[in-house]
Amino acid sequence: MVAKEQLIKDLEGMFGVQKVLKSELERYTYTYDSSFVSQQTEYFPDVVVCLESTEEVSKLMKYAWDNEVPVTPRGAGSGQTGGSVAIKGGIVLDISGWNEIVEIDDINMQAVVRPGIVHASLNQALSPFNLFFPPDPGSSAMATVGGMVANNASGLRAVKYGATFQYILGLEVVQPNGDIIKTGGMKSKALKSVSGLDLTRIYCGSEGTLGIITEIRLKVLPKPQARGIMLALFDKLEDSALTVLDVFKAGIIPSGIEILDDGGIRCANMYKPELNIPEVEAAIFFEINGTKAGVESEGEQVKAIAEKRARSVEWATDADRMAKLWQGRAVIGAASARTVPGKTRIFAGEDVCFPISKVPEALRTIKNISKKYDIPVVIYGHIGDGNMHTAPIMDPLIPDEVQRTHKVAEEIHRLALELGGSTTGEHGVGFARTSYMEEEHGKALDVMWAIKQAIDPKGIMNPGKIWKLGRE
Amino acid sequence: MQSTYKMDFTEELKKCVKCGTCRAHCPLFVELKGEPGSPRGRLALIKRLHDGKIKPSQELADIVYTCLLCKTCTVNCPSGVISDEIILAARDSLNQSMDQSVIKKALLKGFLTRPALLHSCMSMASLYQKTGMHNVLTKSKLFELLPDKLNAVTKIMPDVTKKPARSRIPVVTPAKGEKKFKVAYFLGCATNHIYPDVPVAGVEVLSQNGCEVITVEGVKCCGMPHMAYGEVDTAKEMAKQNMDILLKEDYDAVISDCASCSSTFKETYLHIFDEGSKEYEQAKQLADKTWDISDFLVTKTGIKPGTKEQKVKVTYHDPCHLKRAQNIFKEPREVLKNTPGVEFVEMKDADRCCGSAGSFAVMHHDLSMKVLDKKIENAQKVDPDYLATSCPTCTMQLSYGLKKAGSQAKVVHPVQILAETYK
Ligand SMILES: Cc1cc2nc3c(=O)[nH]c(=O)nc-3n(C[C@H](O)[C@H](O)[C@H](O)COP(=O)(O)OP(=O)(O)OC[C@H]3O[C@@H](n4cnc5c(N)ncnc54)[C@H](O)[C@@H]3O)c2cc1C
Repeated sequence: MVAKEQLIKDLEGMFGVQKVLKSELERYTYTYDSSFVSQQTEYFPDVVVCLESTEEVSKLMKYAWDNEVPVTPRGAGSGQTGGSVAIKGGIVLDISGWNEIVEIDDINMQAVVRPGIVHASLNQALSPFNLFFPPDPGSSAMATVGGMVANNASGLRAVKYGATFQYILGLEVVQPNGDIIKTGGMKSKALKSVSGLDLTRIYCGSEGTLGIITEIRLKVLPKPQARGIMLALFDKLEDSALTVLDVFKAGIIPSGIEILDDGGIRCANMYKPELNIPEVEAAIFFEINGTKAGVESEGEQVKAIAEKRARSVEWATDADRMAKLWQGRAVIGAASARTVPGKTRIFAGEDVCFPISKVPEALRTIKNISKKYDIPVVIYGHIGDGNMHTAPIMDPLIPDEVQRTHKVAEEIHRLALELGGSTTGEHGVGFARTSYMEEEHGKALDVMWAIKQAIDPKGIMNPGKIWKLGRE
Repeated sequence: MQSTYKMDFTEELKKCVKCGTCRAHCPLFVELKGEPGSPRGRLALIKRLHDGKIKPSQELADIVYTCLLCKTCTVNCPSGVISDEIILAARDSLNQSMDQSVIKKALLKGFLTRPALLHSCMSMASLYQKTGMHNVLTKSKLFELLPDKLNAVTKIMPDVTKKPARSRIPVVTPAKGEKKFKVAYFLGCATNHIYPDVPVAGVEVLSQNGCEVITVEGVKCCGMPHMAYGEVDTAKEMAKQNMDILLKEDYDAVISDCASCSSTFKETYLHIFDEGSKEYEQAKQLADKTWDISDFLVTKTGIKPGTKEQKVKVTYHDPCHLKRAQNIFKEPREVLKNTPGVEFVEMKDADRCCGSAGSFAVMHHDLSMKVLDKKIENAQKVDPDYLATSCPTCTMQLSYGLKKAGSQAKVVHPVQILAETYK
């Protein structure tokens, strides 16, 4: 690898000094994302470049390839696994400033964007066309669509609409050696294509380990006409999960099914006192959308099902009340930071996914793990697809609490594997979860590695992510 | 890390979980791009300084000073991190440990603390604008200290040949009709010198609505500009004098027409004095008594407008220090809607910072202009006769922006339009 001073000089020569960040202070701001692990270590990149064109990215990769310099792509750095942190040094490519919407084709229901466009901004731009891009992470306000594709992100409405990969028609990708390829339907406007191996699917969720995504063709959907929200309160955690299963059995797929445990309800009340939700063991929010008649009829059916076990059920179609209720759910990720004065919530062991049949058991066991280590854990999340968020509330300045929190996270990950689930439903592997990969995938991990080696034989793309450093 | 501004850096910085939500809201980040330009980046570096892992440096100061203090990140932070206050405290801390640049010291210490000097500089700025006599002004103290900022200053600085409000308003203005309140009117530096028509109108409107108005003499600058430049010690001296004077008599309220002054009285003084001290108690009293003029009119006096209809289309820009610092945004609109003949239209992103932030528009001119351009674009879309706002530095910035864009619209304080109805 070329010496750091030379590297900086070369990059400044190629892209101009403005696009190259090299001081210690500037580089420090690229040592973290939202994950707790990244904030406990200090992996400095040697240099950061901020680029905004395919040609520039291609030039950068050719240079990195020739000189065998690691490159770590970075969007907003809202990831929760350290994915965008350069743990082997080298170059961080900050692509978040490249946020152009190249095209919105409302008739063919698709959009072409550059990777830095923020999820919420894209949906704002689609709104006048009565269209929307359905995957909706809680980080919508800051996450880039490039980062979403790289992590195959999903969100509150995944139960009905699924994850990002379902909406990617094609990609432009700069290969580790600088070559530019277009996958799937990037060049066509066909909504379907089964021509050849599905490369799009391989890059989606590749976490920057296979190449740099520089353009994305997305399928977008018409916005539903109507929406309603139901809040059901349960004295027993298990009853909430059983109700969700009954709703599916009745043939209804709500657009969102979200849970708050007692800690979550407490947070919601603290943050928004006007919500005043009774402190039961679990609250479930159902969101139903579609045609006006459909929403009414499905709403009534879900209400009847919930009433069998719930202490109370509230069904709202009034916009104001809906906004308030949904806000009650939306504030939790954040509000949990405020539950205990002097403590904060961290992002660690955040997004395990259980088979939906095992959710009741999982919820109870997580509560017990929290008790065992005396670290409060607020549980909330997408119960409709078994994807749970577990927010540890702790003081990062007390080493013993940090230790215990790591153990809580470890046990929650193990629990997911034991119950036949996954260690990550939406945030990805990064370097936070590489140690679970063997166990979760067995021989399949070797096949993944074979693909990685075929595309990136020099191992310069985001080393140390998905696979542990040193695997080569 | 030490700061005169009361701040528990350890506890406040701990709250930042680095989720990055602030990237979505910071009006500067959109222009700067790159993590060092985000509130999260600034806080990460302040934490590193606090942890003793880096030393104060010019580069760090530049990053910490590249902030509008607009509070947009603070009010949107899910974890409750008070970024703008951390920035203020960090600036103070840097000031204590670093060599001061001549610019800041001179601009602030010898400038706003001495009203006479301020006025003469303002007048000279105006002269400069009119005659283009570069050499006359470059010889003046201010511009010697601000060589590379000279162009920026003279571009933004308004025409200030008007007599200051202090010399146009009697110390006591009696209530017209039944007297309901006796109020102190705080003449802030900027409205007094640059926009004297605002306090003239403010006093008139208050008196028309049952207030005896005292334009209290001997007050100093509220201290906000000093605080913004980490000069907390100087600000404390001014605060003491202001509190002594404004609390000496038992006024029903202390009224300000400037969002920054009122927010400084309501919030900031409480952060610079030790709890339990005499000054802290005074700060609490002053905070309780301070009112933004629109808020006072809507909440306390009620508005009885005059009969002269205005027949104008007006939109409103929310100053950061009014909307986010004081949660006052309905009241100025109420004043406008209660003004006969006013057609009120809302513009897009009315509460987005205009990029002025006191002297930010001078010190970071190009960046500030990018923020301003977005604001002006939104204002022009509703094609108003008046763009109303409640802050003199916003007024300066918006007026410049409108002029640059070739717009005929004028920037005024809501009470100025209301005052016209009594004529
Ligand atoms: C409060 C909060 C809530 C969240 N909620 C959700 C949620 O509901 N659902 C969910 O799925 N996630 C969620 N996340 C996690 C995170 O926002 C997502 O993983 C998001 O997709 C990351 O986008 P980013 O732009 O921040 O990417 P980054 O964090 O910058 O990067 C993520 C990964 O993508 C790679 N990458 C980025 N851009 C490119 C590119 N152009 N080409 C190739 N690789 C690239 C990086 O190398 C890295 O491995 C949440 C995070 C926070 C802080």
